Amino acid sequence: MLSLSHVTKVYGKRKKRRLAVDDFSLDIETPVFGFLGQNGAGKTTIIKMITGLLAATSGTILMDGVPSESAASKRRMGFMPETPYFYERMTGLEFMRFCAQLFPKNSRTDDELGRFLKRAGIYEARNYEIRTYSKGMRQRLGFAQSLVNDPDYLFLDEPLDGLDPIGRHDLKQSMLALKAEGRKIFLNTHILYDVEEVCDEVGVIHEGKLLYAGPVANFCNGRPLEERFVATVQEYEQKKAKEQ
Amino acid sequence: MRNILTIALHTVKLEIRDRVWIALLAFALGYVGLMLFLSQLVLRELPMVNAFALLGVYFFNVIIAIFLGTTLFYRDVERKTVYFVLAKPVSRREFLLGKFFGLCAAVFLTSAVLAGAYLIVIAAAGGGFGALGLLAILMQFLEMSLFIAFAIFVSTFSSSLLSVMYTSAVFFLGYLVSSLVSDARRAGITGIRYILVNVLYYAFPNLAKFNIRDIGVHYVADPWLSFGLAFAYAAAYIILLLFAAIWIFEKKEI
Ligand SMILES: Nc1ncnc2c1ncn2[C@@H]1O[C@H](COP(=O)(O)OP(=O)(O)O)[C@@H](O)[C@H]1O
Ligand SMILES: [Mg+2]
Repeated sequence: MLSLSHVTKVYGKRKKRRLAVDDFSLDIETPVFGFLGQNGAGKTTIIKMITGLLAATSGTILMDGVPSESAASKRRMGFMPETPYFYERMTGLEFMRFCAQLFPKNSRTDDELGRFLKRAGIYEARNYEIRTYSKGMRQRLGFAQSLVNDPDYLFLDEPLDGLDPIGRHDLKQSMLALKAEGRKIFLNTHILYDVEEVCDEVGVIHEGKLLYAGPVANFCNGRPLEERFVATVQEYEQKKAKEQ
Repeated sequence: MRNILTIALHTVKLEIRDRVWIALLAFALGYVGLMLFLSQLVLRELPMVNAFALLGVYFFNVIIAIFLGTTLFYRDVERKTVYFVLAKPVSRREFLLGKFFGLCAAVFLTSAVLAGAYLIVIAAAGGGFGALGLLAILMQFLEMSLFIAFAIFVSTFSSSLLSVMYTSAVFFLGYLVSSLVSDARRAGITGIRYILVNVLYYAFPNLAKFNIRDIGVHYVADPWLSFGLAFAYAAAYIILLLFAAIWIFEKKEI
């Protein structure tokens, strides 16, 4: 179980102070959880705190009872950053080797790494330098490297961004396959209809606050997801305007 | 430990594929070729050839060390490539140290190539195997390691361009201050001003300590003692800089 309790993140100091995540509490047990929110809602900030890239200003994040930023937790997680940048002069396969070596007792053969590359649909390009990759290919490589340690938990930041329709289809299939293997997936997105296909539950985040968390069906209540999302955000904005 | 090694090896691999590094090395070898030519033509005396060749090796080593030190660490953080590494069970300290040792190894490699070229020049000028010259290059390497540590330290809190400027500034000051105290004493400066001069002297790395390039031109009393002292000095300075760099980097919002 992934458990966030009273997590707050403030960027900057004094005048530049910016509240990005506001007293955020949530327990996630479902296999595939989708985080919905506009640009700037705080999704990336939360995923960076979970993966230990960013220290929370206050609050705790536990993965099966262990602090998520600890080395023990990191050994069990995979992370795919938003619009990833790579070492341009490495080949895809070399990059995979490097990533695998960063896990203890995890010497992977090229065949094993090839499996991950195939799963992400980037195997054919494995011996080309990354600087020749298109945006979608980079996205695929970013996904492939998140699998090198057979993670129990996967954190994907906007994984479907920049992919063509085939790419989106492939990646969604991969996610469902990973779910069938018993792995838990946590993904961020601002593209709503992807969520309906793969996510069991969603969380709606706006201005760093959680507006809804639960099954997709409950949230939609027979209405289209987009309509419900917009309505939820608007309700919140109206309530806020009234309070002021 | 293993992580540091993995990152260091990876860093070396990245560097030797870097276009700028290849171009600089080509330039350096071109310079050595020119030396070879000049030594036949004008610089007929061996000590002169020796001094010029060592200065050339030094010059290119400095440029390469400053270039690598200020870009390779900063770029990973700026472009967020570091996310791939730090979301894995790798601490920030390991990442920073891995980068440092990788950069040192790359500069060592550069030094080794240039040292080979140096030996050829000396042999062509009629000198034998230049053991002292090699020692001089080894001491340059110590100095380069110090540059790299400084460059990484600066890049933990400033941009790449500023880091180049700071590191270059320290390079010049490092030479300037080395004679500062004796100059001050000779000029009869006392009191608070003398203390200030001393503070400067100890704050900046004393780069003259690494310079035994004049061997052959001047007599160097005990090169091995110089080397030992330089080694201890560099090690102490580097450890201090790396501690500070780690301390800042661990708090940095990436
Ligand atoms: N390094 C940073 N410094 C200051 N503010 C930041 C930083 N990163 C993000 N923010 C701010 O925090 C808020 C949430 O950003 P983010 O988590 O990236 O949103 P999302 O991923 O949902 O688009 C935004 O208002 C953004 O401007
Ligand atoms: Mg984001």
